[in-house]
Amino acid sequence: MQALATIIIDGKKVQGAVGANLLQVARQSGFDIPGLCYHKKLSPTGACRLCMVKIAGTKGFVMSCTLQVEDGLEIIAFDEELELARKKTLEYLLCEHNEERDGTYHDEFRELVVRYDLDELASRSYPKIVDQLGYGCDDSSPVLSYDASKCIKCFRCIKACAEVQGKNVLSFSDRGVTSHVVAGLNHWASSECDGCGECVQLCPTGALVEKLHRQIIDLAKIEKKVQTTCPYCGVGCQLELLVQDGKIVRSNGVEGVSPNDGRLCIKGRFGYDFVHHKDRLTTPLIKKKGKFVKADWDEALALIANRFTEIKAAYGSQALAGYASAKCTNEDNYIFQKFVRVAFGNNNVDYCTRLCHASTVTAMLNSIGNGAGSNSIEDFTNTACLLITGNNIIDTHPVTATYVKNGREKGQKIIVCDPKWTPMVKYADIWLQPRLGSDVALLNGMIRVILQADLVDKGFIADRVEGGLQALSLLQKSVAHYTPEEVEKITAVPREKMVAAAKIYAGAATAIIATGMGLSQQVVGTNNVYALINLMLICGQIGKMHAGINPPRGQNNVQGATDVGCSPLIYPGYIPIDDEANRKRIAALWSVDKDALSDQPGLTTVEIMRAAHEGQIKGMYIMGENPMITDPDLNHTQKAIERLDFLVVQDIFPTETTQYADVVLPATSFAEKEGSFVNSDRRVARVRRAVSAPGQARQDWRIIVQIAEKMKCHIGSYKDSSAIFDEIAQAAPMMGGISHQRMGHHGVQWPCPTKDHPGTSTLFLDHFNTKSGKAKLHPVIFVPQSEKTSKKFPFILNSGRLLYQYHSATMSRRNKSLNDFVNASYVLMNESDVQKQGLRDGDAVRVTSARGELETVLRTSREVAEGELFMPWHFSEAQVNRLTRGELDPDSKIAPFKYSACRVDRI
Amino acid sequence: MRANEYRIALKNVGRINPANLDEYEAVGGIATLRHSLLRTPDKIIDELTRANLRGRGGAGYPAGLKERYTSESPGSRSELRYIVCNADEGEPGTFKDRVIMENDPHLLVEGIIIAAYAIGASRGYIYIRGEYYPSIERVKRALQSYYDKGYLGGNILGSNFSLDLSVKLGAGSYLCGEELTLLESLEGKRGYPRIKPPFPAEHGLWGAPTLINNVETFAHIPYIIEKGAEHYLTIGTKGSPGTKIFTLSGDINRPGYCETEMGITLRELIEDFGQGMREGKKFKAALLGGAAGTFVDKTVLDTFMTYDNLKKKGAVLGSGAVMVLAEDRSIYDMSVSILEFFRHESCGKCVPCRVGTRLLTDMIAEVGNKKKSARQEMLGRMVDEARFMAATSLCPLGQSPIMPLESLARYFKKDF
Repeated sequence: MQALATIIIDGKKVQGAVGANLLQVARQSGFDIPGLCYHKKLSPTGACRLCMVKIAGTKGFVMSCTLQVEDGLEIIAFDEELELARKKTLEYLLCEHNEERDGTYHDEFRELVVRYDLDELASRSYPKIVDQLGYGCDDSSPVLSYDASKCIKCFRCIKACAEVQGKNVLSFSDRGVTSHVVAGLNHWASSECDGCGECVQLCPTGALVEKLHRQIIDLAKIEKKVQTTCPYCGVGCQLELLVQDGKIVRSNGVEGVSPNDGRLCIKGRFGYDFVHHKDRLTTPLIKKKGKFVKADWDEALALIANRFTEIKAAYGSQALAGYASAKCTNEDNYIFQKFVRVAFGNNNVDYCTRLCHASTVTAMLNSIGNGAGSNSIEDFTNTACLLITGNNIIDTHPVTATYVKNGREKGQKIIVCDPKWTPMVKYADIWLQPRLGSDVALLNGMIRVILQADLVDKGFIADRVEGGLQALSLLQKSVAHYTPEEVEKITAVPREKMVAAAKIYAGAATAIIATGMGLSQQVVGTNNVYALINLMLICGQIGKMHAGINPPRGQNNVQGATDVGCSPLIYPGYIPIDDEANRKRIAALWSVDKDALSDQPGLTTVEIMRAAHEGQIKGMYIMGENPMITDPDLNHTQKAIERLDFLVVQDIFPTETTQYADVVLPATSFAEKEGSFVNSDRRVARVRRAVSAPGQARQDWRIIVQIAEKMKCHIGSYKDSSAIFDEIAQAAPMMGGISHQRMGHHGVQWPCPTKDHPGTSTLFLDHFNTKSGKAKLHPVIFVPQSEKTSKKFPFILNSGRLLYQYHSATMSRRNKSLNDFVNASYVLMNESDVQKQGLRDGDAVRVTSARGELETVLRTSREVAEGELFMPWHFSEAQVNRLTRGELDPDSKIAPFKYSACRVDRI
Repeated sequence: MRANEYRIALKNVGRINPANLDEYEAVGGIATLRHSLLRTPDKIIDELTRANLRGRGGAGYPAGLKERYTSESPGSRSELRYIVCNADEGEPGTFKDRVIMENDPHLLVEGIIIAAYAIGASRGYIYIRGEYYPSIERVKRALQSYYDKGYLGGNILGSNFSLDLSVKLGAGSYLCGEELTLLESLEGKRGYPRIKPPFPAEHGLWGAPTLINNVETFAHIPYIIEKGAEHYLTIGTKGSPGTKIFTLSGDINRPGYCETEMGITLRELIEDFGQGMREGKKFKAALLGGAAGTFVDKTVLDTFMTYDNLKKKGAVLGSGAVMVLAEDRSIYDMSVSILEFFRHESCGKCVPCRVGTRLLTDMIAEVGNKKKSARQEMLGRMVDEARFMAATSLCPLGQSPIMPLESLARYFKKDF
């Protein structure tokens, strides 16, 4: 707790934390001191001079935004002299200000003009000079527009970009009264601006405005403002959606609320237009004679129930499987897994988490007992050191990355380990660039360095690791031959860099790991993460504040879908399916017979497709997933899906997968449903309905319940999604104390076992979630990749995501704002390889692997090493997963999306 | 050097080759540094404090106090302390720092090292106006000579004290001569003024305690340490001890610089050093201290020029610039150019200065079309605007137009 001080404002005693910003404290205490350049997220600027006050006993004015609270401080906030000076300052501003307005933005300046009776021209003493100043507009950005004549030069946009988002794109050009804001070299579109819009959100006038819906939005006509959770990545940003005439017309970040404190990325701010896109599915569709025909719900649901029932009768319950969805709510997913377990009578429920962090979760569960991130987003700022492995955090978790950049400003050490250059390299102290697939060697090498340099946290090992120092000596033996020389040979990472990185990580007071798909999406994915955890454990960089391991989640509810049991191996709350007592408990909760719940592990995502290919799975229910883009080895997947007797796909848009369906069901988007998501910090936060669903679209969980009913199978009758969550709280002990009401506008971080539990921001502070309560070391060795380059396939292809698109692009590509930035596939090749291959930048090329081929455009790049390629996988016209393979990591069943031998030919 | 000059900062000017450290040593240079490193830092600060050395950049703030604050400041981020020499000489009519840097750069560097030792700085910068090519070249050469001889770098002269000094260049902004703006510029940022407090002594360059002084101030330090505070106090006047360099320009026969004891009169400066008014014209006005300075008329000719005496006359000593205007000069034209200068140099960060400097140029343009009686009333309004700007502006630039305008109202209302 910070010490409190008592200060006196206009004779009234006010309490504030010592060192707190005086203007902030004064305003909170009811003194409405005017001001335009101060914003609580930004450092004080002192530019607008409106918040001036007097300190008792001293001469002159001081700006309250630049003062800190200290005991005994006595200020005068309002007297005639101050108010006159404020009015005069406003008049000065009005001289250089274009006062045209269109009602599309909140205008703090105008509010003050009215408050100080300056609205009438007759009440002003100075001539307008704005027309003489030559102010221009920069309208080049796809998403925003800047009008210098409406700018009051408060610095808020510049500081929003620099201090909050860490991007430093904006600055002033020119000097004095003609100065104005510029992006980059005075052209927004060619600057490094990535369209996050933080500047727009913090602009106090109409100088920076959004282009999206500018023509229709009228703040006076906004029907409602709804706080909800962003539907894109797993940061879980809190959005405020503004609704006008039944449509979303703006999305703002919610200030003062975790995890984002008002920050958004371009997807969160400008990526909501898909909700009202003309392509939305609005009625059930049944395929008749190869063509989709509109159907009513009764017909569609009856057909589905009949077919599922028939298949189950004909081939047994193991012939059915379901894909749940990382995009749907906890409530939808909980009902989905309940449906599979009760109506299908098996555990064949999985979803695309299997393809992203399954290996991470497997290794983490086995080593430390939880697969979720150990920390909260603020720790990305507060920790002393951040190790980012295989994680393009700026593009894939843009708002988390802003916290990292804030940390760097405070002196945080950043180590980026990635075979491909990522934007975070610009902020990093060290970039380790291992060859694709060589991670275990690199990590073991770092472990060896730390052991040799005696930087091991022996106390931690002794107290908190199973087997203590004995286990350590086993690890020591297993890494003995990973000398810096040997590691350099395997990984191509210069030894001195590897040694330096190891020492920084081990020597830091606190360190956090942010690990991504680069490590997980390999056939040795689980081993990679074991090695990473070993590194963390020997340094004791977990089990204390601001330390730990975090796999930032790629999708809005990939965390929650597993939390509520969409897994072939576990029930809600990570309780293994073979736990008899739990099955009994769950059976009672679900009012079914215990033996009706299968104790056999189900099939995982790729295994389900394999089984379909082999004819063992006959019917599938896919909710909000698009495996025909996201599954590996798509040619194989396509055959598997084609062999299904019956496929139901429930989605909000026609997708690459819906075309193979027998029945397509129209579901609701995040903006049309009530429920909750769980973000990467284990924060369970509300999703709220802002607009009505289009046509006959229904919320996912209602559709599932209706199918079950038609199958004569009762999986519960729920009043609303809140009632479902109450059941989740009973099923998953770690969420026992959470309800929709408790989530409120802030969310609750699990574990939160009871109603009076405050939730948990940092895991493992006193024990690990393993049986013994201690962490486990898992020594692993480097195994060369089974996939090899050859004369025929001389390159290794890596794949990943972009900031401007998302996953299979079903949602993201239906937003003009996002497409205006990037909307085309490409393959990156090192410039020396381009020369050697006789290719040229911009060539149309065919990329071929042993599994398949695609066509795309070649881009020369230094971002990839020689012999390696990179492709974004969002684009259906160049499906990267035609090239990947279905060989799985034996421990986690994840597929190796990051490692495919390929060839590139000019078309 | 003329009879009533008294040279401290300029003592070696014309006597030695400014490119040769050996010559500097031959006239006694470096001896004080050697001697200083054997004393405690505290003793040095004490000496400077007792000597009442006042900052020669224009504000006249006691240099010893500044050193004391900087040396005692805890430093929020690390033990690191910086020393910065403000050589961004940009005040119109001022060229005293240039004379020192071009003619005796070694003295400046010695002064900086002694001050750095006193406050415990290990890193320092000399921020030189970018157009000062000979100064830049000579200071850089002087630094190299110091390094070559072990007077800079690690363990200076065998002591435990280490200091690295380098030159940074200004890029043409008047405002970067303002100490906090200069620090921003040094950090590689655009030259915008910082909020004060915190002062550089506690939160200066990159957040570390920083001592920042003017070239002329540093050039006094070796002398004071060598001769002692008691001796220094015998020079100049009681409240303003020591010497001051004046730079004379305008309607006089011999423009140039001179260093004299504090307390000389304007008349002496014009007659003795300026060799009288040009073409025998009558004296009308002098602008003291540059654009951010004050006009005075003949009633001030015999005032002893010290910080405090001039203040009583509504004038400032400032940087030591003395611009002399003869009877046929237009005070109005001069004012136009001064206000134009402020408008041009206003960075635009704070509202009163950004808009106010523009309003003042508009107002004074309007004055040109007015009758005499109305002009006086306009001047009154301009003073009001400038007073408002001074009360509400963020940095000294916006607080400056009031200086010439108020002095105009005091001395030249009828001439305006």
